Formats: sequence, structure tokens, C-alpha cells
Amino acid sequence: MNAPPAIKPMAKPADAAPAEMLTATGQPLKILVVDDEAVFRALLQNLLEKMGLQVVAAGSGAEAVASFMHEQPDMVLMDVMMPGMDGYQATEYIRELSGDSFIPIIFVTAMSDENELALCVMRGGNDFLTKPINPAVLRAKIEAFSQLRRLYKAVKSQRDELAQHNRWLKREYEIAEGVFAKVMHSGGLTSPNIKYMLSPQAIFNGDLLLAAYRPSGELHLMLGDFTGHGLSAAIGTIPVADIFNGMTAKGFPIPEIVAEINQKLQRILPRGLFFAAALLELDAKNHKLSAWVGGVPDILIYGAEQKALAGRFTSTSFPLGVMATDQLDCHVESIEVHPGDRIFLYTDGVPEARNSENAMFSQERLEQCFNDGYEPSVLYERILWELDQFRGAHEQSDDVTLIEVTFDPLASNPQANSNALAPRPPSEWSASFEFGADTLKGYDPLPMMMQVLLETQRLHQHKQRIYMVLAELFLNALEHGLLKLDSSLKERAGGFGEYYQVKEQRLAQIKDGRIKVRLRHAANGSGGRLAIQVEDTGPGFDFQQRLKQVEENQGTHGRGIMMIRSVCESLVYRGAGNIAEAVYPWNLGDGSD
Amino acid sequence: MALTRNVSADGKVVTIKINGRFDFSVHQEFREAYDANCGKASDFVLDLANTEYIDSAACGMLLVFRDAVGGNNANISIANANHEIVRTLTMLQFHKMFKIA
Repeated sequence: MNAPPAIKPMAKPADAAPAEMLTATGQPLKILVVDDEAVFRALLQNLLEKMGLQVVAAGSGAEAVASFMHEQPDMVLMDVMMPGMDGYQATEYIRELSGDSFIPIIFVTAMSDENELALCVMRGGNDFLTKPINPAVLRAKIEAFSQLRRLYKAVKSQRDELAQHNRWLKREYEIAEGVFAKVMHSGGLTSPNIKYMLSPQAIFNGDLLLAAYRPSGELHLMLGDFTGHGLSAAIGTIPVADIFNGMTAKGFPIPEIVAEINQKLQRILPRGLFFAAALLELDAKNHKLSAWVGGVPDILIYGAEQKALAGRFTSTSFPLGVMATDQLDCHVESIEVHPGDRIFLYTDGVPEARNSENAMFSQERLEQCFNDGYEPSVLYERILWELDQFRGAHEQSDDVTLIEVTFDPLASNPQANSNALAPRPPSEWSASFEFGADTLKGYDPLPMMMQVLLETQRLHQHKQRIYMVLAELFLNALEHGLLKLDSSLKERAGGFGEYYQVKEQRLAQIKDGRIKVRLRHAANGSGGRLAIQVEDTGPGFDFQQRLKQVEENQGTHGRGIMMIRSVCESLVYRGAGNIAEAVYPWNLGDGSD
Repeated sequence: MALTRNVSADGKVVTIKINGRFDFSVHQEFREAYDANCGKASDFVLDLANTEYIDSAACGMLLVFRDAVGGNNANISIANANHEIVRTLTMLQFHKMFKIA
């Protein structure tokens, strides 16, 4: 067996440099000695070599500069008076060449005048030594500068590391901001009836503002706030935005979205991190505003007619991510709104804004703005103005988020026309659904039916209209067919709330009754026909009379029938009026919706 | 001192008093204040008489605190809180989890 070759110990130099005179790599320091007198050069070289240092010698200023470039010494001993380029000039060049690395330059001079010596330091030297050289002083100075050099290097490398780290962090924040900006960008916020001011720091404050439209046209808006600050607060916004946008686009109502977000956050957030939020739905067709509020300040409604605070929604639920979903109150409250009414949402940055005396703007001051009789169109600016006045010169705190939604029955989804999904070639199919009383109590089957429909026949460009037809027929069957609600109730003053209250009551009591929905699609040339038939087990109604009323434009509640007729080629009632069937025609290429 | 702690003679009641702002900066101290007596104490009182402000991170800390001292069986009262703090706690429905006196 061959023994590994023995490692030869490195020959120890006769005069090894002590540890404090070594470079970071363990080499002895390399000193550049500059003097035009050969004898003195040799003397210094000898002294330094005895200390175990490496020495490079130069006989003139110019030679010193050249040698500095080639040899890269760690320290320079520089004669002042030399013919040609003197020590000061050479020092100037060397300083330029050495950039931001620290090369101690010690002037060696026969001068003894104090002013002359001070000049050495002013001209770029770090220190001076007077001839004749005292070896002990020389050694002490080299040791001191060696230590200083090491310290400088350590600080410099920490500084560089920190700078590098900062660059990384900045880059990561930029990437994160890009991702979050995409998450935050939901088309609904571009609606002309929404005004908002979002703190530029919003994302890293954990604030989230989103708006989106259901296929049936209702606006969903969410304002929320994660506990804490920074990336840990921001991180949760991604799943929340995904759920909100995704479920809204599929037509899910607010309570189901709230439950889903809570479920998700319960699973992913550590204890102590939660999401306080408000979600609202604005149903322009029915003048109905519904909201769920969990842990954020009151939503305030400014009445266009009263020019005063006309209503509010107060937090009634835990924030999301705190409780198990079955312990969470996901119900929405609803009120009637009128054209021109303004709905205000804000984060706690508004009431908690502080002035120079550290007083808070407060909920009371905010609400005072609602009771000064301002024109509805100026209230938003007024609130911001009051806030600025209050804060005065105190730092313009950037954590104010304020949103105003104007109820405009004609405002609609600005993105409705930009659906990129092309219709699939027409095909033949049918599907039936049947819902019993128990199912109808706590479940809205419309989103599910829409999903089945859209996955079978890609009619995304028609989805708003189809949803409208399906929803009208289904809700008629439920509210009038099974629950026997009288829609004239809605027209009375205060009847609106009553209508939905009675609906809830009757829905809770209903024991039997079923609704059957049948979707039948048939190809027709380059398009197709979708027949939607809804049948309920209620007693029916006098549809001949109703249709006649609608034709003669009498009565105020034939709105649903007229809306269906405006997009369908036919709407017929059969049986005792408990079966309704509408036929929706479509063609490849009509993308108008 | 942002936080002081008092334990009753029998070791059953721990009173934690927070001075100034109740936010993430007292996180460590707050944790230590209830951790130290977790075993023996049955009742906790959070005295907010000298607390001017509570932020959402601190509300999160309250939930962690509640879990640590018994969750649904925890006996925690929040005493002497100012108007704004009570408003914040109520908004978050914390009055359903803590006794707010």
C-alpha cells in the first residue's frame, strides 16, 4: 500500500511577520518604498524585511506610480522631496488609482517644520515619519495602519454586502409589487361610478381593494385590511383576490364568497394574522345594496335627496381567518338605495389620521362631513379636504384609503365587451336540475347552473343575458310560484325591505315544493337556440292576464317579463302558469353583450 | 416601561398593564408577561388605562394570548380601555371573546 505523499511544511521565513502585519489571505503586507536616495531606500528595505514584510522599491515619483500599478502594494512609504515628480504629486496619482480601497501612505521626510509636516497630511498622506528613521516608531506606525486597513476592509465588505442585500431586497419588492399590482388590478375599479384614493403603501399595509361584476350585472366590491405591515401582511392578498374575482365572475353571492375566503384564510394564516373586510353588492336592477362587514369601520351611505347620512352598515362579524367558518356570520344585510346615493368605504387610516397634537381625526369628525348638507357630488373631495385641514402641516400620512361608489342604475360593467373566449361550435344537449325545498333554503343554484351551461356550450359572450333570463325565471318560480310573494309589495314605501324580510321568513318555513330547471340546446346553422324551462310546484298564475298587461304597458311589475322578451325570441307559459319557457337564440360572431 | 405585570398573592390573577401604544413593539414583552404564569393563573386582566392606542397587529396578539391561556376556556378581561380602543375591539367582535369591562 502506498502511503500518501507527505505534505512538506512550508519553509518558515527567517523573519515571519506577526499576525497583525498579514493581509487577509495570510501574506505578509507588501510595502512600496519610494526614495530617490539609494542608500536610504536600502536601509528602509532592510528594516522592513526584518519585520517579515515584502518590499518593493521605487527611485522616483514616476517609478512609484508605475510600481503601484504593477505591484499593488498594501502600504506606501513616500519620500517628499524628489527630482521630477515629487512625493505629493505621486501621492495624488496613487490616490486616484486606488479608488475606494484604503492604501495608507506615510510620508518620510527630513523636514521638521510643523507646518510642513501638516502639509503632508493635507496633500493626501495619512501620516509622516521624520528622518532619521526610528525602527520602533516605523514598526508601530505600520502595525497601526495595518489594523486600520483591516478595519476599513471589514467595514467596506459589510457595506458592499449591505448594498448588495439592499439591491436584492429592492428587486424583490419590485417583483412583489408587480405581482400584487396585477392582483389588485381588477377591472371593476375603472367603472365611472367608483372614485377611490388608495394609499400608495396600500399593498404593504395589507390593504386590498377589489371590484368585479357578477354575470348578472351586480357590482361586487371588497375593501379589506390584513393585520400587520410589510410582506407578511401583503402575502394573504393573493388568495383573497383570487377567490373574490373568481367567485364573483362565476356569479356566486357575497355570503358564499365570505365563507370561502374565511375557509382559505383559516387554513393558511398563522394565529394572530387576520383579514378585516367589508364586501358589498350593488344590484342596480333592484336598487338593492347588500353588505357584509367584519371588523372594519362602518360603511356610510349619503342620501342624494336628503343630503344627509341615509344609512350605514356596521361590523357584525368577526374578521376573516379568526373563526371556523361554521361559527362565522356570513349573512348580508340589505337596504334600498336611490339613484345618486353615495356609498363610502374607508380603512381605519381615515378616522385614525393624526394631527401635530397627536389627536385623531375620529369617526365623529368624519360623520360630521355627512351632516353639513353638502352636494352629494362634492362630499368625497370635502372629506379629503377636511382630513388635510385637520392634519395640517403634519406629515402627509400616506395610509388613507377612501372609496366612493355612486349608485347609478345605468352604470354597468366596463369590461363586459372584452370577453376573449370564442363560442364553441353549436351542439345538441340538454340538462335538467331539480331542487327541493330544503335545498332552496340555503343555496343559490344559479352559479352552479351557469357553470354547467358555460362549460358545455361556450357562450361567454352571452353569459350576462343568459344569466338574466335564467335568474328572472328562477326567481319568479321561487318568489311568486312557491313563496307566493306579492311583487306589488316592493313598490310601496318601505316595502322593499319588507319584501325581502317576508321572503326570508317564508323561505325558512317552506316544507315542500320543488323547482325544475331544464336547459335544452339545439344547433341552428352557425348558431343555436338555448331553451330555458323553469317549472315550479306552485299553483301558477293568470298568465294570459299578465301578458296582456305587459303588452298594454300597464302595471309596474312586468319588468322581468319585458327584460326576458328583449333578448329572447319567445317566452311562453304553460300549464297553470307554473311552467315558463324562454328561448334564447345566438349566432357565431355576435359578440355584443 | 411599556408593560408591567402584577400577580395576585394566591398566584391566580395576573394583571398586565400596557402603557402608551399597544402594537407590535411590545410583542416580546407581552408574550413573556403571560407565558411566565400560564400554568398557575386562572384569570387574566388586561389593564388598558394607560394605553392610548391599539393596532391590528396587537389585536392579533390578543388572539394568540387567548389561545395560549385556554382558548374558549380562557378567562380574560380587558379593563379601562378608552373609547377608541373599545370601538376597535367591538368592530372586530372581540367583545364576544373577551370580557370588556
